[in-house]
Amino acid sequence: MSGIQLNRLLVALNRIKQHGYIPICKQSTAAQSKKEPEKIEVFVDGKPVQVEPNTTVLQACAVAGVEIPRYCYHDRLSIAGNCRMCLVEIEKSPKPVASCAMPVMKGMRILTDSPLTKRAREGVMEFLLVNHPLDCPICDQGGECDLQDQSMAFGSDRSRFTDNEFSGKRSVEDKNIGPLIKTSMNRCIHCTRCVRFGSEIAGVSDLGTTGRGSDMIIGTYVERLFMSELSGNVIDLCPVGALTSKPYAFTARPWETRKAESIDVMDALGSNIVVHTRSGDVLRILPRTNDEVNEEWISDKTRFAYDGLKRQRLTAPMLKNRDGYLVPCDWEDALSVVAERIGRTGSGSKMAALAGRFCDAEGLIALKDFMNQLGCETVCVEERFPNVGASIDLRSNYLFNGTIAGIEQADLVLLIGTNPRYEASVLNARIRKAWTHNDLQVAVIGPKIDLTYPYEHLGDNTNVLNELTSGKHAFSKTLNEAKRPLVILGSSMFERPDATSIYASAAQLSEKLRDVSAKEDKEWRVFNVLHRYASQVAALDLGYKPDFKSIIDLKPSLLYLFDADEGLIKREDLPKDCYIIYQGHHGDRGAQIADAILPGAAYTEKHAIYANTEGRAQQTHLATTPPGKAREDWKIIRALAEVCGVALNYNDLDEIRDRLEEVAPNLTRMDSIEEANYFKQNVELLKQHKTSFNNQPLTPPINELKDFYMTDSISRASLTMAKCVKAVEQQLKSRHTN
Amino acid sequence: MLVRKLFNRQSLAISSSILGRCISTSSYRLGSDKEFVHRDTPKNNLDIKFDFTPENYKRVQSILAMYPEGHKAAAVIPVLDLAQRQHNGWLPIAAMNKVAEVLKMPRMRVYEVATFYTMFNRNPIGKYHIQVCTTTPCWLCNSDGILKTIEKKLDIHVGQTTSDGLFTLSEAECLGACVNAPMLSINDDYYEDLTEKDISDILDEIKKDGKSKAGPRSKRYAAEPLGTLTSLTEPPKEPGFRLRKELQ
Amino acid sequence: MTEGALAKVRQWFMIMRHYGGIKNTILALYRYDDLKVGKCIGADKYGNHYYQNHRYFVGRSRWVKYADRVGLDYDASQVPPEWHRWLQYITDDPPTTTPLKRQPWMIDNIENKTGTSQAYVPYTTVPNKIESWKPPSPTTTQQTVTMKT
Repeated sequence: MSGIQLNRLLVALNRIKQHGYIPICKQSTAAQSKKEPEKIEVFVDGKPVQVEPNTTVLQACAVAGVEIPRYCYHDRLSIAGNCRMCLVEIEKSPKPVASCAMPVMKGMRILTDSPLTKRAREGVMEFLLVNHPLDCPICDQGGECDLQDQSMAFGSDRSRFTDNEFSGKRSVEDKNIGPLIKTSMNRCIHCTRCVRFGSEIAGVSDLGTTGRGSDMIIGTYVERLFMSELSGNVIDLCPVGALTSKPYAFTARPWETRKAESIDVMDALGSNIVVHTRSGDVLRILPRTNDEVNEEWISDKTRFAYDGLKRQRLTAPMLKNRDGYLVPCDWEDALSVVAERIGRTGSGSKMAALAGRFCDAEGLIALKDFMNQLGCETVCVEERFPNVGASIDLRSNYLFNGTIAGIEQADLVLLIGTNPRYEASVLNARIRKAWTHNDLQVAVIGPKIDLTYPYEHLGDNTNVLNELTSGKHAFSKTLNEAKRPLVILGSSMFERPDATSIYASAAQLSEKLRDVSAKEDKEWRVFNVLHRYASQVAALDLGYKPDFKSIIDLKPSLLYLFDADEGLIKREDLPKDCYIIYQGHHGDRGAQIADAILPGAAYTEKHAIYANTEGRAQQTHLATTPPGKAREDWKIIRALAEVCGVALNYNDLDEIRDRLEEVAPNLTRMDSIEEANYFKQNVELLKQHKTSFNNQPLTPPINELKDFYMTDSISRASLTMAKCVKAVEQQLKSRHTN
Repeated sequence: MLVRKLFNRQSLAISSSILGRCISTSSYRLGSDKEFVHRDTPKNNLDIKFDFTPENYKRVQSILAMYPEGHKAAAVIPVLDLAQRQHNGWLPIAAMNKVAEVLKMPRMRVYEVATFYTMFNRNPIGKYHIQVCTTTPCWLCNSDGILKTIEKKLDIHVGQTTSDGLFTLSEAECLGACVNAPMLSINDDYYEDLTEKDISDILDEIKKDGKSKAGPRSKRYAAEPLGTLTSLTEPPKEPGFRLRKELQ
Repeated sequence: MTEGALAKVRQWFMIMRHYGGIKNTILALYRYDDLKVGKCIGADKYGNHYYQNHRYFVGRSRWVKYADRVGLDYDASQVPPEWHRWLQYITDDPPTTTPLKRQPWMIDNIENKTGTSQAYVPYTTVPNKIESWKPPSPTTTQQTVTMKT
């Protein structure tokens, strides 16, 4: 046995040891890609293809362009091999072979279209349909059902199953696993994709199979909630209609909906989504595959908070009347009154603007141009960023430099004051994936929380950070040995009074680690900031000040709130005569203190650019029109500028994007990440900073699932999210835990 | 469950008598009479406490010692069995939870194992669990008669427990003692080569003394022929038997 | 021929006498595109007059001259139900001779308002797709104040 073979065997054994099975590992680690194993040749329907040695027959067929029908097999899940739909004939093999579980061998001749294969598929389809109810007309999966499609494509044209009026089909009780997933267990074909998703991707072993044979059922055994922030993904995974979306139940057929490709803004990851609409109504949100960002998962907040887009909306401009109450009015009145107020304020030095978490790049640049032309320089974002070293002048200081996909190449991740499970759920799934497949080591500075994977808990106080930076901590040795480490700093830490010190320590530590890792990979970037707000990176790119406190210090006589709903600035903080303009889409904290309201568009209602925490610019497409009199944000600002007599030189989307390109060219280069690598320079500047920590523990704000659901103006308005919170609270009271 | 069973039985009768349908198109399902979800009942809920006794903890440790690090979850079957033996032959939900806790695995994974194997009882059971084999060889040797005798004597049907909580009767698939058919097992003991009188005696003895001699009820010691040998009667042939002459 | 022509002229005079002058005859022709002569059976309280002439074929032998105030905006639904039954030959007894029993629940005849500003429009049974935010208003703030006290 050669050394390579032995090594491969050991890796496989190690994986079996860890997970009890051999998970399919995407060949993503750089170490593996360096030693390219020799490809072997197989024949699919007589056509020769070259594939890597440990691929399966099914994957080899995919390379040859032949789609093998399957139910239980899924690219991102372990192989179960229990549906038998992927049976193919292999020459010189006595029986048809389950292609998903069969590794390729040299010179294998695979027949995917032979009479034996066809008959095998027909037989499997017939068995599956024996106990599958004829629910299609009332089933929500109808039209996007794998079972429907594949029985049309590969099934027999008749069934030998004839006596269902006498003994009936198998009947299984429906389970209540929460307010998001509707179960109809009669339809289940036991592919166990949901079970595998729960235990492998989501890291929540709530679902399982109980019983055996024809009594086998999928469920939770005890009545309990499927308690995961990624639970909605099992709806997409389910190849039949057993698990469907509860909020979407009986609303539409897939062919009736219009699909708009879009970007999620609930967190700073920028998950790729598809917004399904019908007659101007957002019906559901599904993930879009992007291996660089979200693979094919999205969090429950992304998927189900859309009903918040239909409630508490600002649908008409509003102005305060003589009695001090907001009343709806025309755009004309609103713009002229607001412009008159802006004119009365005179110099811009007494004005300020604050942008919130949902602002798009177009709106941000328009507001900044407008404010700057009025002479106002206090244009801020809600999320803070420490003003130390080069601060926001260098992009690499505030980006997730290592990239989300880069986690799969890392061998050590250090999380500082962040809870990625609830701040960026899909990123957490990525860390878990790297932990399962690549033996990623995770260390946490922060509270002890369930991250779905084991980690080394280094403590939750600032001392740990200090010791790590100086190299005195017990863990420093492990850190220094890491070849591809990632330091992930949570953006919630910037709200602390000692944010500058935490930031400086993390940056210095990362730079130190980079010295080591540079031997392995010169381009490896260690320092990462995990943002929480979708607008943050674009705002910083455009030169927004990450310091809302300066607005309070300024005592402005006019404040322009752009989607700012975090409630950071209160009416009491401002002078009494301060005129507050709120532009946004939801009547939330910002609108409550406003004197004038300009209704804007939510993320599904505009073509807009968002940059995610990596600095990747992605754009949303218009799925529905803004409701009522609401308009796209940059157009409102453009119109207001016109009334104020300020010239903004853009009249359509292309022109404003040209302007964006002038200021921050990276924002118009879609789906790509600009190189940003000025760590050394920043650390030089940081040397002047004297670290002084306070003793508060490094606790991120959201540590429990029930706090995950309602965090922003959209999800706070969502009834589905409210139901989730209730369900989780109820589950926490239940003694049937896991 | 019972209703479903009745319905199924009846439907089988209809389908076979009226239509004479061939077996390949019949969808008659032999479903288990057990439920594979947990529902809190007065007899089985989370208020029932379960913990291993100190001796059993030692046993758990020795079972765990058999499995290498990282594979401790493989001990789930023996540990569940230990829990079942400790808790009067059945596993309350608390016992499964305890096993999960001891083996540091998710509870659901333990439930999966416990529901998969029919020898784990998830509902209260009598002190003596009578499992009558009714698979073909035993059935040919009158296992039906044995079953009927027990049912008559204990006044229970398959799946039921006597009112004094002593006996639970169930049908079992082949228990691997076909040579000594008909047979049944009571807890860990096999009773073989039974006649209807034998089983009646066994039940009486158990009722009286709590035990009865296990093994074949015929004169056999184990699985040897009942009378004389019917084959291999002559002495074994010498070496070189039927060998070619040249090679002898 | 001449006899026929003379009869026509005589009829013309009769019609004009019936309608009360040339002007009224032309007006009636303008309103109804028809000039019929018959016996006035009665009138309802809305000012419609009802005529009958058995010389005409059944189906055309009863007609209504709508109230003058409606001008050209006359409509079949302006005929009240008690006259409607006589007009449509449901009965031969006009309400003038055999009035219907007046029930307490009966309401006045309302003509069809379709096409006017008072036309009936059903209310929507579909919930609003978008629920607007309601800013605090005097009523809601008063409510909250009372709730607090």
